[in-house]
Amino acid sequence: MSRVLTGELTRVGTPRRLAGIDRALPVWAAVVLALVFLMALPLGWLVWMSVGGGRGATLGHYRAVLDSPALMKALWNTVVLAFWVGLASVAVGTPLAWLTARTDLPGKGLIRSLVLASFVTPPFLGAFAWVMLAGPNAGLLNVLWRDATGATEPLVNIFTMSGLVFVVTIYTFPYVYIMVANTLALIASDLEEAAAILGAGRLTIARTVTLPMVAPALVSGFILAVLQALALFGSPAILALPAGFHTITTQIWSMFQYPPKLEMAAAVSMPLLLATALLLLVQKRLLGRRGYATVGGKGGQRRPIPLGAGRYPALLGSLAVMACAIFLPYGILARAALSRAWAQPLTWSNLTLGNFSFTFFEYSATQAAIVNTLELGIATATVGAVLVALLSYVTNRRLVLGHQLVAFLAMAPIVIPGVVLAVALFIAYTRPPFVLYGTLAILFVAYLTKEMPVGYAQSEATFRTIPPELEDAGRILGAGRLRILRDVTAPLARSGIIAAWCFIFIGVIRELSASIILFTPATKVMSVVIFDLKEEGQFGAIAVLGIAMLALTFATVALVQRVLGRDVLGVRE
Amino acid sequence: MPGVSLKGLTRRYGDVAAVDDLSLEVKPGELVALLGPSGCGKTTTLRLVAGFLAPEAGEIWVGDRCLSSPVTVVPPERRRMAMIFQSYALWPHMTVAQNVAYGLRFKRGLAAADRDRRLAEMLRVVQLAGYEARYPGELSGGQQQRVAVARALVVEPEILLLDEPLSNLDANLREEMRFEIRRLHEAFGITTLYVTHDQAEAMVISDRIAVLERGRVAQIGTADEVFLQPRTRFVAEFIGKTNLVEGVALTADTVARGSVRLRIGGDGLVAGARVAVSIRPHDIALTDGAAPGVNALRGTVQRASFLGDSVDYQVQVADSDVVLRVAAPAGLRRRAGEAVGLSIDPAACIPLAATEERR
Amino acid sequence: MMPTAARVLVLLATLVVAGAAQAQDPRLDAARKEGKVVWYTSLALPSAEKVAKLFEAAYPGVKVEVHRTGSERILSRVMQELQANIKNADVVHTSDAGHFVLLKNKNLLMKHTPPGVEGFPAGFKDKDGFYYGLRATVSVIAYNTRAVPAAEAPRSWKDLLDPKWKGKMVTAHPGYSGVIATHVLALVNQYGWDYFKQLAQNRLMLVQSAVDPSGVVASGERVVAVDGGEYTFYQTKKKGNPLEIVYPKEGVPLIVSPTAITSFAPHPNAAKLFTDFSFSREVQQVMADSEGLYTGHPEVKYPADKPKLADLKLLSVDPEELEKRNEEIKRRFVEFFGA
Repeated sequence: MSRVLTGELTRVGTPRRLAGIDRALPVWAAVVLALVFLMALPLGWLVWMSVGGGRGATLGHYRAVLDSPALMKALWNTVVLAFWVGLASVAVGTPLAWLTARTDLPGKGLIRSLVLASFVTPPFLGAFAWVMLAGPNAGLLNVLWRDATGATEPLVNIFTMSGLVFVVTIYTFPYVYIMVANTLALIASDLEEAAAILGAGRLTIARTVTLPMVAPALVSGFILAVLQALALFGSPAILALPAGFHTITTQIWSMFQYPPKLEMAAAVSMPLLLATALLLLVQKRLLGRRGYATVGGKGGQRRPIPLGAGRYPALLGSLAVMACAIFLPYGILARAALSRAWAQPLTWSNLTLGNFSFTFFEYSATQAAIVNTLELGIATATVGAVLVALLSYVTNRRLVLGHQLVAFLAMAPIVIPGVVLAVALFIAYTRPPFVLYGTLAILFVAYLTKEMPVGYAQSEATFRTIPPELEDAGRILGAGRLRILRDVTAPLARSGIIAAWCFIFIGVIRELSASIILFTPATKVMSVVIFDLKEEGQFGAIAVLGIAMLALTFATVALVQRVLGRDVLGVRE
Repeated sequence: MPGVSLKGLTRRYGDVAAVDDLSLEVKPGELVALLGPSGCGKTTTLRLVAGFLAPEAGEIWVGDRCLSSPVTVVPPERRRMAMIFQSYALWPHMTVAQNVAYGLRFKRGLAAADRDRRLAEMLRVVQLAGYEARYPGELSGGQQQRVAVARALVVEPEILLLDEPLSNLDANLREEMRFEIRRLHEAFGITTLYVTHDQAEAMVISDRIAVLERGRVAQIGTADEVFLQPRTRFVAEFIGKTNLVEGVALTADTVARGSVRLRIGGDGLVAGARVAVSIRPHDIALTDGAAPGVNALRGTVQRASFLGDSVDYQVQVADSDVVLRVAAPAGLRRRAGEAVGLSIDPAACIPLAATEERR
Repeated sequence: MMPTAARVLVLLATLVVAGAAQAQDPRLDAARKEGKVVWYTSLALPSAEKVAKLFEAAYPGVKVEVHRTGSERILSRVMQELQANIKNADVVHTSDAGHFVLLKNKNLLMKHTPPGVEGFPAGFKDKDGFYYGLRATVSVIAYNTRAVPAAEAPRSWKDLLDPKWKGKMVTAHPGYSGVIATHVLALVNQYGWDYFKQLAQNRLMLVQSAVDPSGVVASGERVVAVDGGEYTFYQTKKKGNPLEIVYPKEGVPLIVSPTAITSFAPHPNAAKLFTDFSFSREVQQVMADSEGLYTGHPEVKYPADKPKLADLKLLSVDPEELEKRNEEIKRRFVEFFGA
């Protein structure tokens, strides 16, 4: 549905007050309470802890952070990582988006599915797979390289900053892809044809017409990619630590070793939080102000740009990118799952199902972890979906005064990196009055807070497609508001809410950076178990669990696609 | 100024031929309207001429250059044409001046000073002088449309293509812009192809109208010719309203349906052939007296709708199943149920083939 | 010598019979009522799971909940949980002897002496009776035989400083593993911190668990491990991987891994039952046979292809010193190795 973004309001109106008591009051109260519990309380504790935490207010912890060369180095590493990941994601995501959204590239559907697969693959699984592919000595690619060329040096060493940037990028570029592809979908072909008939060649058109129009989306995607990279824990833990360098997330995590340095963790978290907030502010400004789509009359048809001789090379290039993100890692995971010794050639003697039996039947943590993950996934997704449906309905129909604030608060958690959220929750809920640590509840709170924005965005978009007129038409015929909700709104919103459920669910099962700090032996989840196994070098078991996690994820994705009937990336046809 | 020659153009979408062996000659400096309902192939034809599509058969010549053939297509940027799109296709990130001047940078041998001069002159012509620094998003629909026009004309193209440029304007503005476009055409004299589905627009703007039906030219001619002498049922029904009386030719100049006899102008009928007679509603007079040589019928008014400057009657012809629509001046008012006399000049009865061949 | 599998079967049979006899053990009923024992252990995962399964077979109705992670993590866990007033752990077993000094001083351990430990060497016993050494291993060097010919293999700790090994070695981390923390302290006492400063110049790969280096070397990702639990190298080698162990003549750090019951154990009877079980000769023998571990039990026989503890020069570490210098060990290691 292309909208002409010339600043029209789709629905102008004052917030509705229902006859008699303001029925919005309990909703408002419930929402405020929920958001306080989820966010304000932990963040408050975080700030308090960072300035001394009960031992007298002091900026000493901040000073200690600044004075610590290790922390400064970690901070620098994080900045370097995030920046390069952002750039690389733009470099990879933009051409792919252009190719699939605007040209006659063959196999578009396949490429889009692969980008989707990359989007839902947990980066730490990818990192783990790439260790097996590009470890400098035993990595499969290096072994093949050495066999083929007789070189002694490896082709690639994944245990480096560049290796880390590479792995993070191949799972982060979909953010750029989505933003750019969605914007490109809104640009009518006329704009490019008008330039063509006036004499501009293909490259000139791309440079003077197409690129400026997607620039805001590009920058927006860059920022999103940077934010993702900032907050990652698993990939740095897997690739950076063996190489001897930290990022800020791994540093914060290591502060939880005994004796824990909570004040330092809090003091380090604050600048991370502020940086994230700042970046998001910039991104919002960018998107809001210069979101050009089409200006003018009707005719928003998009016609594919013919690539001519470049068709198959472009396809090969795209598949090469996806090979790095999907084919190679998934392949090696499958191989490790079925091998006794992953680095040995895959001969009959090396084949085994023993990893499966060990992981699922002999390793006592697995079953409990799977149960925990499913419980938490279902609980968070269900509560979350209901909550965001309620919130987005209220804000979309402007039922409450201050609905913009509600909308803002619903999206606010996106500002908090997972590890920072975990620190805040840890500080808040390991002490009276609410001691949630040690139970699944603290994980539930963390997941709900973290995944709420993505669920909210989805359900908000859903309600935007249900014009209020549909409800008005029923009400004028005599049906009450609740009846309308049941007969008209709910059936129409159903698929969108289910999609929100699925997004939250997927986010929960792969979450690591908060889980790794908040778990206890009794409340392990799958991602934590995978991480534990990594520390013991149990490659076979990791591969098996990783595959199980991916299977669960893809099953959910398939459900979303069935329900929504369209590409879950939301890229318009 | 070259003319455009379309020879046997064919272009398919799937199994359907959007353009089916279409041939058309546009004389140098002429403005030809491609008129037809949606799906008739007019936009496809235009895009073939622009070079955005390649023909599967046929050729496109501009002057003495063959620009398109199944074998080779000169790309749009080298065809020396300009196009005004239905959506105007103004670039929202460029100012009015940048939009209009865009094509000038691809013209060789044009000094910067000349560019600026041409730009200023063109803006004056479309009455947008002073709007150089505005962005398209800040302009009204009519102003945007004029920017699109300026952008196309400033490059002095050999061929100008317009794709329903007025369909997004409101009715009053549309009428005004019709005359404006005609005026510009007369001022600049560029060979022009103008796609529209609005017949009134086509009749005002163009030198000749090509009525398209299912990918072919059903009839090409001036507004007069097309309106007064439609050659097929389709053209008759598409251009203006008409009554079609289906009957059988009795003699070389009479068609009969039941008890109704209609004399036509001319005498080329073959006795026994099935004929449809096209009669425009305003060619039927409500009168009791009948002049000699004129078709005189009697009927009963079924319905009368007062439209302000005319009255639209639906009249059931006596002893017949023929129902005629009549457009009469508002002066005399008849009511439903009244008996009336109908008088039709034979010259206004146009014989057409009873059924069109279905392809 | 009977093959290992057969020995385990015999053990199981013995246990079932013994179990029938032990059905009269008053603690068993109480343990069954408690239902399970929660075991925080740093013993390698497959080994830990095996011990757990043996116990469950011998004492049906009492489950073992195995929570395996590195020694240092286990301590963090326990302290974190206590801070939040969570009492989850019944039995704590790590390879960092210093932990037990700490825990004892904080009154977090229960005094319990398993039967049969009187015959254990002194290094396996706490004089106050709160904890006892469940197993022991030594930290050794290992190398990949496919990549490194025996003639060029490192033979002593000092050999590892040779620049020719740059980029080819792997170490585990004292921040995670008690084995490694002990190893580092032992070598610091021997050669000073300068040794590690120099070692770091060779750009070692860092892994966490003392179990991990054996996998890294076996896969060929790095060809020399500068430390690691000998029992894991031994098992890996026995599985047919191309790995050889070196016991440096200057001495190998001895790591005794104590175990204790917590003072706040939610399942005390099950805990006692489990602890006693793990110190029984049969189980200690299993640990020696199939897990490659050393034990304190005087009657346990070791495989012929393992050097006897008595034949090795052992570098011992005082638990009190280990506890006191724990933070220093981690800090300086990170200082030299980067992470």
